[in-house]
Amino acid sequence: MGSVDLQSVTKTYGATRALDEVTLTIAEGEFFGLLGPSGCGKTTLLRAIAGFVTPDSGRILMDGQPVERVPVNRRDIGLMFQNYALFPHLNVRENLGFGLSVRHRPKAEIAARVEELLRLVRLEGFGERKPRELSGGQQQRVALARALATNPRVLLLDEPLGALDKNLREEMQIELKQIQRELGITTIFVTHDQEEALTLSDRIAIMRAGRVEQIGAPRAIYERPATVFAANFLGAANLFTGMVEAREGGLTRVRLEDGSLVTTRDEAAPGRQVTLAVRPEKMQVAAPGEGPNRLSGTVSHEVFTGTAVILRMDFQGRAISVFAQNDGGPLPRAGEALTAAFDPANAVILTDPAG
Amino acid sequence: MTTTAARNRAILWLAGPAYLWLLATVLLPLAAMLYFSFLTVSPLSGTPEFTLAHYRTFFTQEVYLVNAGRSMMLGLHVTLLCLAFGYPAAWVLARVIKNRWREAMLLLVVLPFWSNGLVRTFSWTMVLTDYGLIGRALHAVWPGAPSIEIMNSYPAILVGLTHAYLPYVVLTCYVSLQGINPSLTEAARSLGASWGQVFLRVILPLSLPGIIAGAMLTFVPVMGSFMEPRILGGTQAIMLGTLIENQFTAAFNWPLGAALGFVMLGAVFLLMALFWPLIRRHVQGVAA
Amino acid sequence: MSRMFGVLARSYLGLVLLFLYVPILVMMIMAFNKSPLYMLPFRFDTVWFGKLAENERLLRATWNSVWIALANMAIATSLGTMVALAFARYDFPGKRFLQGLLMPPLVIPWLITGTAMLIFFFWTGIGRGLHSILLGHVALSLPYVVIVISARMQSFGAVFEEAAASLGATPWQVFRRVSLPLMAPGIVAAALFAFAISFDQFVISYFLAPVGISILPVEIYSSIRQGFTPEINAISTIVILVSMALMIAFARLSSFSGER
Repeated sequence: MGSVDLQSVTKTYGATRALDEVTLTIAEGEFFGLLGPSGCGKTTLLRAIAGFVTPDSGRILMDGQPVERVPVNRRDIGLMFQNYALFPHLNVRENLGFGLSVRHRPKAEIAARVEELLRLVRLEGFGERKPRELSGGQQQRVALARALATNPRVLLLDEPLGALDKNLREEMQIELKQIQRELGITTIFVTHDQEEALTLSDRIAIMRAGRVEQIGAPRAIYERPATVFAANFLGAANLFTGMVEAREGGLTRVRLEDGSLVTTRDEAAPGRQVTLAVRPEKMQVAAPGEGPNRLSGTVSHEVFTGTAVILRMDFQGRAISVFAQNDGGPLPRAGEALTAAFDPANAVILTDPAG
Repeated sequence: MTTTAARNRAILWLAGPAYLWLLATVLLPLAAMLYFSFLTVSPLSGTPEFTLAHYRTFFTQEVYLVNAGRSMMLGLHVTLLCLAFGYPAAWVLARVIKNRWREAMLLLVVLPFWSNGLVRTFSWTMVLTDYGLIGRALHAVWPGAPSIEIMNSYPAILVGLTHAYLPYVVLTCYVSLQGINPSLTEAARSLGASWGQVFLRVILPLSLPGIIAGAMLTFVPVMGSFMEPRILGGTQAIMLGTLIENQFTAAFNWPLGAALGFVMLGAVFLLMALFWPLIRRHVQGVAA
Repeated sequence: MSRMFGVLARSYLGLVLLFLYVPILVMMIMAFNKSPLYMLPFRFDTVWFGKLAENERLLRATWNSVWIALANMAIATSLGTMVALAFARYDFPGKRFLQGLLMPPLVIPWLITGTAMLIFFFWTGIGRGLHSILLGHVALSLPYVVIVISARMQSFGAVFEEAAASLGATPWQVFRRVSLPLMAPGIVAAALFAFAISFDQFVISYFLAPVGISILPVEIYSSIRQGFTPEINAISTIVILVSMALMIAFARLSSFSGER
């Protein structure tokens, strides 16, 4: 119970394509993150699944049944709003019981379920409070419990933790994940916070300008970004462009534009122009010298972050970063020469050229 | 979530009844009035023919032109008086009085405006005379006091109408003054402006929408007033408003009354068209 | 700002308030003075209120005023609430035009609206009378009702309605259990306002009131014109207290100062 299928879902507003042929399959019980910058269409997609937005074309299936024509109130979803949208004229108990009450369930059943929910989100004794008498974290928990009250087949979360401050947010991430695991409910959530997406999701879809850029498990996307956008949006990336020379011994040899040579385990046909991405923490400060996967330049400036020092170096006209662990060893300073090296396994060939 | 047809049906059912009502009680009557203004006689009392005579009457007969001018002057005088007394009061409310007091004071100022205008006008008849409570009390404590008797005169009309519209002017000016960020004053001061320059170059321009809104919402109804001049003005009561009223309640020349009404309406629309873009948001904000 | 300046500023505001309230207070005091000719010294007496109770004409006019105000309140509030709902929750072509159509009753002098109604109602056979007074009052009240309720609806947006729908509420349940309770303070405020507009309205009623049947403001006006008796002070005192009480209640409900 609770799979969601999107097939070529498209929605335009005037000249802008808010959703452009979005195709996604979300499995039962999955915790699925929609990640992207503001205006990328992730909220529109969530609202389309909820039923507030009717797609111009494409299909939305829940448990295999098309639902594009099913009104919001009969989709059997739980939706948690960004600012919670707790009814200000009702107390916590009435907010939690709303979904069952509009379904004309018996009073005793509603009361029992409300008690259960209050326990689930650890708010026993708060039932008679009005929403404005609760803290931000408590409101967030009520909103979650309200969305879960009717045991919906899909839980939709719109920037679920966006309104909380940093410490509370981390605490709630753990709690949210726990509750989702416990109930095994299919959950789709929207966020612009990459860390939140990495922490919570089983899988992530990165969205950009109405399209899905890449789908995968957090680790897979992070380690193997498919595009320049994905590489830059989720974490930081150093980009290099060059021409594939040959493939030998399980390695692809790429001649960069400045003449230096790098290798990668990824495959590409000789003669192709490619863009490579290497994460800053996958680059090490190395002894000076020639050889593949060694890039030399001058440190332009250094940023001290405590656990690490980020060294910036101009290379091929782009700024690249190297994370050097602050392990007490000597590190080059601004103006000094730097040689950075990386393992061929950590260089990823992207599918699109760097801009 | 809903189909277009269902949506349109919902809009129609929600807005339809009210707009039918407005159509039948405001828009069609205004159209009928326009039609009547071009008729020789009312269709209720004879066979009408098309004529421009009533409009010609307005522009050729001295009595109408003179009194239209008097109504304009009355509107102008009352508007200026309201602004002169109301703007400083609005400023005091927006900048000197704070918090709960401000809310209470504001309510006190606006309260009379939304109470019965007829009764308020009537109440002045007991004040603007030597034989009222104040007049008698004054002469009792100061036998040689000058007379305060101004009943049945133009100044009495001015006092009554200023009293009637002052609250609205205070309210509109207050709303725009209150919307001016106080740090703008500080910024202007820090840039070397004197208090006078701060007022003329920062406060006044920014509060202009409120001033214009207040002026319009005073000028227009004052031009159409007839009850206040009748009660307070005595022989000075004749205005365009009272002339129009007269056509409907005494002379029973409805087509002429309609034409005079439309001349006044034309002047109102001209004013509205001139200032509407400046005050639209403001009017809606104040009314709310 | 210096202390002195603050004192001056407050005194000025005090003078403005004095100007606004002195005539009303004088009238109220005179309503309780025994002498019919405003003779001093003041002697407290409720004789004029007693006379009021015997004045059949005034009592009938008061009754007419009250029920017209009540009917106006019911009709204008329901119609206006529906319009406010349509404006707040739907975007449609012509919406701005419809909103603009609310302005004529607000900005056209009542003298003109009133005489136009007189012409039209007479012409179409609707005629003068309490029914046409009610027709006119509703038209005058509608724009205010729409504006007051729209302001209230803007303050909470559509998100609660979406939340209710996502929880399974049907459109009717959304309206009944979420929209209506949230709009309630605005609706009550608008209803009070509508009552006050009708109860205080003179000009429209003046033109539409037929000979013989009267309503309070018109009755007061003709008494003033015919040479008044202190009974008019008494009824006027009651009228102004009623309308001020209504407006205080309205202000409390709608917090009109724009703060908070």
